[in-house]
Amino acid sequence: MKARGAVSAALASAGILLAGWQAGTQVPGVNATTITTTAAGSAGAGAGTTGSSSGAASGSSSGGTGSSAGGTGSTGSSATGSTGSSGTGATGSSGTGSSGTSGSESAASGTYTGTAVSTRFGAVQVQVTVSAGKITDITALSLTDTDRKSIQISNRAAPLLRTEVLAAQSASVKIISGATVTSNAYLTSLQAALDAANL
Amino acid sequence: MKTQLLPASPASSGSRQPDRPRASRGTAALFAAQHRRRMLRADLLTVVAWASVAAAVALWLSDGGAAAINSPASAFTAAGIVAGLAGMDLVLLMLLLAARIPLVDRTIGHDRALEFHRKLGKPSLYLLLAHGLLIAVGYGMAEGLDPISESIALWVLVPDMWLAFVSMALFLAVVITSLVAVRRRFPYEFWYAVHLLTYAAVGTSLPHQFSVGGLFAEGTWQRWYWLAICTFTGAALLYFRVAQPLVATSRHRLTVSKVERVAAGVVSIEMTGLQLGRLAGTGGRFFVWRFLAPGLWWHSHPFSLSAEPLVWSADGGGRLRITVRNLGRGSAQLARLRPGTKVMVAGPYGVFSTAARSRDKVVMIGAGIGITPLRALLERTPFAPGDATVILRGHTEQELYLGSEIIDICRQRGVRLFHATGPRSRGDSASWLPEDAVRSGYSLASYAPDLAASDIYICGPSAWAANVIADARAAGVRPEQIHHERFDW
Repeated sequence: MKARGAVSAALASAGILLAGWQAGTQVPGVNATTITTTAAGSAGAGAGTTGSSSGAASGSSSGGTGSSAGGTGSTGSSATGSTGSSGTGATGSSGTGSSGTSGSESAASGTYTGTAVSTRFGAVQVQVTVSAGKITDITALSLTDTDRKSIQISNRAAPLLRTEVLAAQSASVKIISGATVTSNAYLTSLQAALDAANL
Repeated sequence: MKTQLLPASPASSGSRQPDRPRASRGTAALFAAQHRRRMLRADLLTVVAWASVAAAVALWLSDGGAAAINSPASAFTAAGIVAGLAGMDLVLLMLLLAARIPLVDRTIGHDRALEFHRKLGKPSLYLLLAHGLLIAVGYGMAEGLDPISESIALWVLVPDMWLAFVSMALFLAVVITSLVAVRRRFPYEFWYAVHLLTYAAVGTSLPHQFSVGGLFAEGTWQRWYWLAICTFTGAALLYFRVAQPLVATSRHRLTVSKVERVAAGVVSIEMTGLQLGRLAGTGGRFFVWRFLAPGLWWHSHPFSLSAEPLVWSADGGGRLRITVRNLGRGSAQLARLRPGTKVMVAGPYGVFSTAARSRDKVVMIGAGIGITPLRALLERTPFAPGDATVILRGHTEQELYLGSEIIDICRQRGVRLFHATGPRSRGDSASWLPEDAVRSGYSLASYAPDLAASDIYICGPSAWAANVIADARAAGVRPEQIHHERFDW
């Protein structure tokens, strides 16, 4: 009787673990799910044109490349990374390190990439677009994404941080409650980018 | 065997009362089937328990957890997550084992449920500690921090994490005070008060599971599963440990009617109440009593019925009786209970009853105050005249509490009765019999001839009972035939 219980329990447990394992191979994996850092509706203050840039940078696993919609009136977004989100017409520079795109007038213009700040929930790296000494856009190249919860937090916090920073024109903004780790890393990376831009 | 009082002859069955159940030809098959069903339930519970642990780990696997391990840091974090999931699952199982769920109680009995509860204490604590440590190391490695700075950062930065640290400390306190060595040094009330902190420990651990745990993020089915098992456990506790006792108390409206001295330090407490017909067949099982008198109301006592519930009116009005020996401070006060005292009751609990029977013959062995539940069981459990043996053990005849009542029942039902009185054997500490019986070379088999076809009910002090069980096992009795209720939980 005892043996019967033990054997059934072992079989049932093994079956459940196997089913879990099998289900685990079917899911796309957290990294490939959804991290959307949408920067929509920003005013690109380039040479007189208003370029709305919508960028969807997904694929946090690569974390390196991204999009920039810079100065001269081009709308651009790019999507690089492993799966999923569609990008439309990529212009601008990609790559790490700060690279300036055709800033027309101002001294401090271009896109600058901040350092990648590693946190327990994933690395965070942002790219800032500067035009005529003003922060015109911030794109998150990678955000906290080790698990679904972190992705949810990132998706909530990043747009709020972006809005705050654009309004304050600096990295000294209040952090988003419930997203302390993400906010701190985001602002640290941003500060590095701003330093590179000499802002 | 000079101590035999009544022969096993069915000749004495002439005066048997008509309402007493007697075993017929089908009883053996009936009890065998009952036993098979109980074993099946026990196996099912075993499967459910283990499957729940496997399911907790499978939750993580099904989320692609194993595939996401790609660095030492993520390996530590993953191990920490799995430890946390398994640890929490064990904690929920422990709560369910202590929830006095009738299915569990009828299957393995309250004492064994609590034994498993106790056995899970340390493993669950180790898993929870490992969870904390591994996560601190894994997160720290991802961030380039040592585990201690990482823990501080988690406490400060991540919402609900400070609660998780509080929870960890509470779990530690609860388990440490429950260790036998520690528990002995403090009064029961202290242990009980600390043990109540378990609810706080579980409560403070819940927020971080749902707000920080990536597995249980909004919108995942894993979150729903986890919510479901937590809610189920909480509901079972509330229902069976709070609601059910209140319902039973208001249903039966028990009032102390008589407190009678049975022997030195032993009293029988009689209570009258309503709807007692519902408790038929609970003789020998125990209830948790709370006497609503000044100085007593805050203490609850587990005592077995020492007689079948007696019902005398159509609406179920009748009488319950317990017989208690003044062992602790609480029980000493019971002797001074006044008639008219209201009584809160929860139960019946335990499988020291006919529900545990697997054979058609019965052997009952009781010592001291442990005789009294046997007295109640003897009244009703079915057997044919000549098929039951009762052995009562005490230092003196006066210690065979309710002995005269038992003699009457044995006469009526044709039971073989032995009084084994005298000092315990000095030479043989493994014996449960008095000195002279040991010298004569008697063992359990000398008293009860057909052990293989009998259920053996044992009630008495734990060390003594362990000796009886050893004797029975040596005589070839299978474990499922031995029924022993422990009250030292």
